[in-house]
Amino acid sequence: MLRMTNLSKVYRTHMIETHALRGFEIHVSQGEFVTVTGPSGSGKTSFLNIAGLLEEFTSGEYVLDGVNVQGLDDAARSRLRNEKLGFIFQGFNLIPDLNLFDNVDVPLRYRGFNARERKERIEDALSKVGLASRMKHYPAELSGGQQQRVAIARALAGSPKLLLADEPTGNLDTQMARGVMELLEEINAAGTTILMVTHDPELAVRTHRNVHIIDGQVSDLVRRGPSLVDGHAPAHASVPA
Amino acid sequence: MNMEIRPILSALLRNKTGPILVAMQVALSLAILANALHIVNERREVAARPSGLADEAATFYFSVRNLNQDTPDQKLAGIKRELEVLRAVPGMVSAGQVSQMPLSQSGTTSSVSADPRQERESAYTSVYATDGAMVKTFGLKLVEGRDFLPHEVPEVNQTLENRIPETILITKALAEKLWPGAPAAGRTMYFGVGNEARGVQVVGVVERLQSVHAEVGVAAEYSVVMPEFSYGRPGTTYAMRAEAGQRDRVMQEAERALRKSSATPMILRIKTVEGDRQDRYRADMALSWMLVTVSVLLLLVTCSGIVGMASLWVTQRRKQIGVRRALGARRIDILRYFIVENVLITSGGVFGGVLLGVGLNQLLVSKLEMTRLPLVYLIGGALMFWAIGILAAYGPAWRAASTSPAMATRST
Amino acid sequence: MFGYYFKLGLRSLRRNRYLTALMVLTLAVGVAASVSTLTILHAMSGDPIPSKSDRMFVPFIDNGQPDGYIPGSDHIDMQMSYKDATNLLRAKPGDRGTAIYGTGMPIEPPRTDIPAFTGFGLAPTRDFFAMFEAPFLHGQPWSVEDETRGANVVVLGRAVAEKMFGEANPVGQRLRMGGDPLTVVGVLDEWNPMPRYYKLIGSGPATGEDFMIPFTTAVRRELPAYGSVSCSESRDSGFASLLASECTWIQLWIETRSSMDRSEMHALLENYASEQRKLGRLKRQAPVELYNVMEWMEKQKVVGNDTRLSAWLAFGFLVLCLVNTVGLLLAKFSVRASEVGIRRALGASRGDIFRQFLIETGVVGLAGGVLGLALAFGALALIGMESKSMAAVARMDWQMLALTFVMSIVASLVAGLLPTWRACQVTPAIQLKSQ
Repeated sequence: MLRMTNLSKVYRTHMIETHALRGFEIHVSQGEFVTVTGPSGSGKTSFLNIAGLLEEFTSGEYVLDGVNVQGLDDAARSRLRNEKLGFIFQGFNLIPDLNLFDNVDVPLRYRGFNARERKERIEDALSKVGLASRMKHYPAELSGGQQQRVAIARALAGSPKLLLADEPTGNLDTQMARGVMELLEEINAAGTTILMVTHDPELAVRTHRNVHIIDGQVSDLVRRGPSLVDGHAPAHASVPA
Repeated sequence: MNMEIRPILSALLRNKTGPILVAMQVALSLAILANALHIVNERREVAARPSGLADEAATFYFSVRNLNQDTPDQKLAGIKRELEVLRAVPGMVSAGQVSQMPLSQSGTTSSVSADPRQERESAYTSVYATDGAMVKTFGLKLVEGRDFLPHEVPEVNQTLENRIPETILITKALAEKLWPGAPAAGRTMYFGVGNEARGVQVVGVVERLQSVHAEVGVAAEYSVVMPEFSYGRPGTTYAMRAEAGQRDRVMQEAERALRKSSATPMILRIKTVEGDRQDRYRADMALSWMLVTVSVLLLLVTCSGIVGMASLWVTQRRKQIGVRRALGARRIDILRYFIVENVLITSGGVFGGVLLGVGLNQLLVSKLEMTRLPLVYLIGGALMFWAIGILAAYGPAWRAASTSPAMATRST
Repeated sequence: MFGYYFKLGLRSLRRNRYLTALMVLTLAVGVAASVSTLTILHAMSGDPIPSKSDRMFVPFIDNGQPDGYIPGSDHIDMQMSYKDATNLLRAKPGDRGTAIYGTGMPIEPPRTDIPAFTGFGLAPTRDFFAMFEAPFLHGQPWSVEDETRGANVVVLGRAVAEKMFGEANPVGQRLRMGGDPLTVVGVLDEWNPMPRYYKLIGSGPATGEDFMIPFTTAVRRELPAYGSVSCSESRDSGFASLLASECTWIQLWIETRSSMDRSEMHALLENYASEQRKLGRLKRQAPVELYNVMEWMEKQKVVGNDTRLSAWLAFGFLVLCLVNTVGLLLAKFSVRASEVGIRRALGASRGDIFRQFLIETGVVGLAGGVLGLALAFGALALIGMESKSMAAVARMDWQMLALTFVMSIVASLVAGLLPTWRACQVTPAIQLKSQ
């Protein structure tokens, strides 16, 4: 599904160079639910941004669902993002001036579906997260947990292959967080690959696999349980010298 | 093409203040601009009307007052002598005595009618008097009949009598007014109405000669020319035309020659038709300039308003733009979003502006005696503001489009 | 606290230079346009003689032909015939009265280096000077005897007197005018009532008359009437027939002791008119009309449509600038939401925030007023270039100056109301969280 080889990301500002990712290697197979942990400043966000095609990387190789990302222009990356990925953010990032229906609609518009197909997908996605009855409501009228569910619906509406979640439960209380996690597990069980960044060690243990990033490098790999085979042998992390 | 108009519109309606402010500016500007440009055009047209003179730039006149104690007969001889002196100046095409000049805003107006039995007179006309040289001096074009013959120009001592002429020339516009669709030459026109009306025979029709006041409207084209070589008053006026391009030189030489020809000092007032035209339309031109200046300022202010608002929204929605990009929007999708948003707002403004413009025009017509606004100004204005709206939004929209999708994951 | 807020306002303005500059400029241009057109309007429609403008009157008696008379239609010329003017002056319907007509004469300077020229002036009766409070630099109006005899005396305007005689007092000197020497009895000082309301029809030079000569003298010498002679019937040539005719060419003014005497005088005039009708002189059944100074200026359309149009346009432009400023202020204040949140968290009430931001907009208004004043001066100078009569009107006085500042500050405060109110609504909690 997702393979990064010898990836590095360097931020250059005036005289200072910051290496966010160094010789980064990761291989995620279809159907995995991977949590990504690490202290702040470790490069988690950079990893997620690059994985999500939100940012470009300095060197290395990144293949997403069989497509080599290198050399793609902005329009192509946007299209790839639109078709294959779904995003869930910590801050929900719903557009406050649009109702739930229109919010879920946003990525579908860029996809080019016609009105009927969009309507079907939106209603479908919102029922999956249990909020179909409140389609015409606005984000401000919902609780945090409900808003995150809408964000999930938005991520799902386009039938993505890979779901990227950045601290999806960070702004929720324990009960809501649990609800969201259950939802994500359901989605994963249905076949969507999920990559989730989290601070919470309790959540990290719930998943098949946990990747730990320190100082821009994958330094630890803990695997629980079998993963679905995608034709390659799961890679081992390289141990830093 | 996916325009996503409905969600944009509903988002706008949720956050009405900013869009309304922009739309109001567009509406106000459009309303004022359409009316202002209409007035400017009108005034320019009025000021561009031809006077009927063949070469205005070469035509000028002297108001002469001799400080001597001549008797009227001596004065007559003096005038004839002065005319000879003037005609002898090299480069002079024609010189003659006149009573008044077109566009000079000073002269005699009389009422005339086609039939003395009318209730009211047909028109008010400017009454020019000439010693017979006017048609040549002004270069007037005869479209009917003929110029005066020398024996038709009487010498009139103005201190003794107030003679009504026997023959007269009128302008084509006046002929149309008095006898619509019929030839005028040979007919009798009357000064005044009722028992006191005096008849005079029309011998010729000139194509055009504006009145001294050059009023707005058809009244400016009503003039009559009567033959009269007048003398006896202390002052007299000579109208002259120099060869093309020679006016200033001929004017100087004529003045010199005239002063030299008189033993006693004389007061000479020199004016040009060009100068009279400028004076007559000075206020109109000043208003035009003022309207044009304000129109330009209006456009600038409105543009700055649109650009300012659009920039503000882009800054405020940085995060949202990033999210859209993360969800798959390409640069061009973001660009299009902002342009469409702006067009919607501008359209609201244009619609309001057309209504406001018509209303403003109504007010001007009823309170300030202005004229009705032709639709073309509103349509043209609407198109222009649409174009401006799109252009002004382009800069901020482009900035928005270059937002990195990574904005979505940033914490603030 | 005002001083503190004022300082905060100044500091904030300096922080976003471009935005502030744009706001100040927009406001200044709008204010300048409004103030300059208002100044002209104010000058043109101002009361030129407030102490007695309600007890100085112009009567109108319609002596036109009965044929073609439509009651209520516009009058062609509203001056008076010689017969009516002299009759009314003799009848003394008010406290004082004066008859005026405009005329011109060649003036031959005593110095040979200046050529002769045509002077333009008025021929009023003696009471003119007292009625219109014309200021004298030297000498005084001609005496009653001079007036009765139609003596060869003249009052000169200041510019002409200086041109002829230099700085010296010319009273007593003689000046050759129209072929005869006239004795100078007085010199008028600079006198520029705006507008020259005493003679609106067929008005003289915008810079003022060159001379004043007694009415009787002008009539005796048969000086021609300049400035609108309107005859409804034909007449013989010659000055005598002009006097005997129904041509109107004389401006009559009557002053009463108080404004209450108006109706009384109106009645007197109506009586006179019916008398004249019985004599067969007046042929129309038209009512006598009476106008005081302001009404007369209105009737003669002193403030033309174009001037009004300019003023309206300027106001429309100001409104546009205001709306624009509201938008800019909204922009400016919205980025300060976090500052407001913190201040509120630290104890500022909504009222405190309101005051702070409103004063900040007031500072913008003050800056706009200063710039607007400079621009208004420039605009007035440009407008004054149009003509001499315009230049006389396009001048700023203290009232207009004060108005500039008041307008600018009020405008900015009005524009700032909505954005300031918005700023107050920011609650402390949410903003802090997003930090």
